[in-house]
Amino acid sequence: MPDNPNSLIPQVRYTIAVASGKGGVGKSTVAANLAVALHATGAAVGLMDTDVYGPSVPTLMGGNTAPHVIEGKIDPPVEFGIKIISMAYFLPKDEAIIWRGPMLHKTVRQFLGDVRWGELDYLVMDLPPGTGDIQLSLSQTILLTGAVIVSTPQDLALAVASKAIAMFRKLNVPILGIVENMSTFICPHCGEREDIFGHGGARQAAEEIAVPFLGEIPLNTAVRLASDSGRPIALDKNSPNGKAFREVAEALVEQVRLLSEQSAQGVKIQ
Amino acid sequence: MAPTPKSIKLAAGGNTLAVEWADGHVSRYPYQYLRSRCPCATCAGNARLPNAPVPGALPIFGVKPLAPARAELVGRYAVQIFWNDGHASGIYSFDYLRGLCPCDECAARTGK
Repeated sequence: MPDNPNSLIPQVRYTIAVASGKGGVGKSTVAANLAVALHATGAAVGLMDTDVYGPSVPTLMGGNTAPHVIEGKIDPPVEFGIKIISMAYFLPKDEAIIWRGPMLHKTVRQFLGDVRWGELDYLVMDLPPGTGDIQLSLSQTILLTGAVIVSTPQDLALAVASKAIAMFRKLNVPILGIVENMSTFICPHCGEREDIFGHGGARQAAEEIAVPFLGEIPLNTAVRLASDSGRPIALDKNSPNGKAFREVAEALVEQVRLLSEQSAQGVKIQ
Repeated sequence: MAPTPKSIKLAAGGNTLAVEWADGHVSRYPYQYLRSRCPCATCAGNARLPNAPVPGALPIFGVKPLAPARAELVGRYAVQIFWNDGHASGIYSFDYLRGLCPCDECAARTGK
């Protein structure tokens, strides 16, 4: 059950949940690349894969280092300067986690409190799809700085993203903004532009519900190749997608700054 | 955004818990009133069943008068109250708590 706010991670300054509601819109890819782009600004960054059933962060971030457990605490592997924890590290590739809620809650608490995160500016959390156990456990266990909502431009994804937004609003977690992923596709052969999942839908949705729009990430084969090879595209700052991720990270940093100025939430209990 | 408290006073006198809200409103909840509206699954679930037991209804030898022993914030949206009889599963969201405010002004508005 909940402790005092953030007592599990007293040395972490900002906690950012990357969520979507819907699966398959690129949450993990966005989370990993945002972590890389935030690190590129000079910040100390951690990346927590809270998708216990379908962990994909270690694939995206590469590396083969397993976490060391020393005196009951987990030393997280570090890739590209980012401290990472994921269920994938504790599970053979072809095994599956088949758990009910209470075990998920325990894992979230362990990933927060039993990992040696050290001092971090940002802890980016890749959430599973949906509005269930993990989302609720996270929102109850720590004072999340805010949530980043990832959506593709199509109505189908936006409709589900709005559920995630409704959940965070109910839990008083600020929405830091929406990212439109898999935006415009430019054909590498003919250079023609094709809006496979539509274009601008997330920007429009953000305006309608009055939340910040953080930017668009183009649909590009290079992202998939970089992700599968364990080297996030944001490391390549000259690529169009690397640039897009860095711009989104800049917009995110600005939102975090604005938010921390206006909300000094400390409820006194006497 | 849901209403947020500025401070929560567990012992505000006269067996009440007081919440001062960010908008300046002050709510005073008698302990028994608050406890009988516990939103946990055991209390809220049973309330809808016929002949459900009422928490704390049976006096036991040496029983202390009902009071909150302590409270903890739950994320950004709620407070969990640990009652002195050991019951602690109720997570009162700020929204819910504000809706429970028994003052005349709020009661007139909500019609409760």
